[in-house]
Amino acid sequence: MKASIQLEAADRRTVILLRAAVIWHIVLAIAGLAGGLLVWLRAGDMLLWLRLPLGALLVLTAAASSLTALFVQRGRHSGRVLSLAVNYLGFLFCFLGGMHVLGMFTGIDSLASTFGRGIPYLGGVLAGYLISALGDRYENHPERRQMLKRVGKVVMLAFMATFLLAIGTLSGLLAVVRRFTSFLPCLLVGGGLLFGLMIWALWRRDSAVALGASTAHEQMLNGFLFLSPNLLGFLLFFAGPLLLSLYFSFTNYDATTHVSDWVGLQNYARLFNLTIAPLTTPDQPVTEALDMTVYDELMRFNFFERSFILGAQDKLFWIALRNTIVFCLLAVPLSVIPALFLANLLNSKLPGMKFFRAIYFLPSVAAVVGVALIWQWLYNAAVGYINYSITSAVTTINTLFGSAILDPQIRWLSDTRIALLAVVIMSAWQWIGFDTVLFMAGMQAIPRELYEAATVDGAGRWAQFRRITIPLLGPTTFFVVTTAVINALQLFEQVYVLINTEPPGGPANSTLSLVLYLYVRGFQRFQQGYASAVAWVLFIVIFGVTLLQYRRQRSGAYA
Amino acid sequence: MNRKPILTVLGLVIVLSMALAACGTPATEPATEAPSEEPITLRWRTRPDNQAEIDVYQAVSDAIQAQLPAGITLVYEPGGAETSSYQDVLKTEIAAGTAPDVFWIPGTDVADFASRGLILNLNDLASQTPDFNMDDFYAAPMAHMTHNIETGAEGAGSGALWGVPRDVSTFVLYLNLDLIIEAGAPDPRELAAAGEWDWEAFYDVATRVRALGPDIYGYGANAWWGPYGVWMNAAGGGFYNTDRTACGLDSAASLEGLAFQRSLYVGDNPVAVPYGEDSEPPFMAGRVAMFQNGRWATPGVRANANFNWDVVALPTGPSGHMGDWLFWGAYVVNANTAHPEEAWQLVQRLTTAETQAMISELGTNIPSRVSQEAIDAFLTFTPPDNNQAFIDSLMDDPVAEGPLWAGSWPEFVAVMDPAIQALMTGQTTLEEFQISICAEANRTFNP
Repeated sequence: MKASIQLEAADRRTVILLRAAVIWHIVLAIAGLAGGLLVWLRAGDMLLWLRLPLGALLVLTAAASSLTALFVQRGRHSGRVLSLAVNYLGFLFCFLGGMHVLGMFTGIDSLASTFGRGIPYLGGVLAGYLISALGDRYENHPERRQMLKRVGKVVMLAFMATFLLAIGTLSGLLAVVRRFTSFLPCLLVGGGLLFGLMIWALWRRDSAVALGASTAHEQMLNGFLFLSPNLLGFLLFFAGPLLLSLYFSFTNYDATTHVSDWVGLQNYARLFNLTIAPLTTPDQPVTEALDMTVYDELMRFNFFERSFILGAQDKLFWIALRNTIVFCLLAVPLSVIPALFLANLLNSKLPGMKFFRAIYFLPSVAAVVGVALIWQWLYNAAVGYINYSITSAVTTINTLFGSAILDPQIRWLSDTRIALLAVVIMSAWQWIGFDTVLFMAGMQAIPRELYEAATVDGAGRWAQFRRITIPLLGPTTFFVVTTAVINALQLFEQVYVLINTEPPGGPANSTLSLVLYLYVRGFQRFQQGYASAVAWVLFIVIFGVTLLQYRRQRSGAYA
Repeated sequence: MNRKPILTVLGLVIVLSMALAACGTPATEPATEAPSEEPITLRWRTRPDNQAEIDVYQAVSDAIQAQLPAGITLVYEPGGAETSSYQDVLKTEIAAGTAPDVFWIPGTDVADFASRGLILNLNDLASQTPDFNMDDFYAAPMAHMTHNIETGAEGAGSGALWGVPRDVSTFVLYLNLDLIIEAGAPDPRELAAAGEWDWEAFYDVATRVRALGPDIYGYGANAWWGPYGVWMNAAGGGFYNTDRTACGLDSAASLEGLAFQRSLYVGDNPVAVPYGEDSEPPFMAGRVAMFQNGRWATPGVRANANFNWDVVALPTGPSGHMGDWLFWGAYVVNANTAHPEEAWQLVQRLTTAETQAMISELGTNIPSRVSQEAIDAFLTFTPPDNNQAFIDSLMDDPVAEGPLWAGSWPEFVAVMDPAIQALMTGQTTLEEFQISICAEANRTFNP
């Protein structure tokens, strides 16, 4: 009753605009429904993963528009909210689509060179502006002031015109006009204008009052407007691809051939398809124990004095999973524990500490690729500095003490037992600096009074560290460990660049990580469906581990 | 004077003009979108290893551009180096519809690209081109390039032409002559000239050099299918069976080759740089006597080797041949190009004798055209003095690097490579390798 009274009290212009909005939303609802049906029934050659969300989006638009028309007609403010949301999204769609069909996004790639041609003329514009500004200095000489201003304007205009010509604005304008001869740009620009008009019609104060908007409503709309860039970005570039990859994981999608058939749980079944077979002797050939048309040998083990063989349909997935877990178990403690002690050391106020803090942080800001290439040289078994140092040390010790220590000649990157360790060492070295900074920030938040009180009570440095620093660093430790674990489980660049074998993950798959395997499947073999399944398994692993850590934090394990 | 409005207007004008300029810029648009009435831009790409190579290809592009009719613009795009996954980027661009019109791919990848429908069958265009003659190029690569996926036929009249080979190359051994002389070993070039350069002689030279010290190696090669394949080939074996429809890694001849290679790395007297280690740095540092690599390594050796060096052909194996590979790569045309005829013309111009001579001068490869002139010109591009070694390998019935039409090469190599790695580092024995390798590898062939 209250709403209709406000609507009746609205001025004639507002009433017309609101009626226009109702009609617009009815038209939009019909168009959305028709478009949805058309996409679903007629666009048979469109890929399912594209047809499904597009059809759903159009039907959703139809539903939202129908509700909007109904609510606005009844003078309810929820109609205004819905209308603004639908029109805002529609406007963005038309605006971005228009820019795309006008070739703006592809043109931006080479705009740098085009625009570079005009930059010198911008200097002329600046000179004209300065001449014009110089006129202000001659307040007592009006003629001179006028003359300088006029000259300045002419110079600015001349150079601006030259600038516009030089960067190709004219040809751009012509290109835009030429593209308007086809239907799509006109449709998008027209649609954008209509959506924009409806936004204005519903946003204006009189419309808001007529639909019973309160201050809280206005604040909510403003809040969502400010949130919208981030929210839309999240939906478009994170949540959307995430859901799409979930869908792909149930298909055999190949991005190069665009084959995308629904295969259900087949990808997951292949990943987890394991078999165990008893062995007559521990060294029985795998070909006799397993069906080699399906399975590969993963491992052999003894159970109650009987030998068994474990086979997997996708052995590489299990190898990658094992390597990733081993890497995580080694790299996280090797980076976090030294970082804690290093932070304690660097947290003192000794001279030169700032310098050392910068030094230790340097590896964290260095690019992984550059770091990996340097370590590749250091690790070279024949001419690398690490083996050279070990050889020199062994020779010196043997010479000094007459011992006969053997030079290990470690094959850092080619020995399957060592290669993953080499990756661990390099990664831990790179992560320590960042973890140290986080620990230092945590330490500096601990009140000094606690240490002073502990000192008065007779506590030594170690007792203070153990009883005050470590417990109060609990939240920082939780953050550091959680992010380190997530980073470790996403191991990719270090192996890809440092080990640099073809196929990746060598030697003999000993450094193959889950993300690397995902990359091989998805971007070397283009089995995006299968790679998506691997990605979701990795996501579940990371999610599970993080959840576990949250629970441990709540139980005070990090204190 | 209130300058804020002026600055605001100025800013708006600049932003608007940028937007308009972007609309009008002849951007590098996906090949499929260019309308035929507009001027044609043809993009082409190779996989150069260094700036010098990029410069040569750019010069080639400029030279061809000068011969093209008005309205066609060539854009050369140097692709990533081998280590930056040239093919991965290329396939991703193909998937996105932004790949160049013409690009180079290695011979092993032709089957994968062709069977996925990513490259254009040029047969119809070639048949309308009187000047194009398949016999001008080495026969083995052309057999693979004319493989008909449906019928399996090869050669002229097969109905298929997937591209034109750009170059060929073979393996040789890059020699550190200083080390060989210091070790008192016979000169491999003289042994080769005398017809005595076989596996035994090779092992003898490697052993003598290895005896010079613990950080000196007789032989070095990098860990990929090329180096280990030659030992199998030289013993009469190979990766596949004779008709390339199944795994041949467990044949007696293949195992003989692998056994010899394994003796270089593990056992009583390992003479080689440990398997899996990059052998190029120690060779450049003067610690490896014989470094197995292709013609593409020549510019690097020319630039970095501070010792007397030369090359020799690979030693002859039990089969009576060196077992060398005929490496090759080809220019192919994007299946989605909007300008197939112009792209085909570009492919022809990129493989003329003149263009190949320009590239060969750089020292990275050997022309793919069979002609005495091309070989004579190639021999003059020294060092190395013994360029003839490359030609000798070419004439010794090398095994052409081949696409795997009956299966998936990436899947096959993903099985083969780790297994060979385990074998060469002593983790598995030859018997263990033999038991399961083909059972596993055969799954990568089409059912």
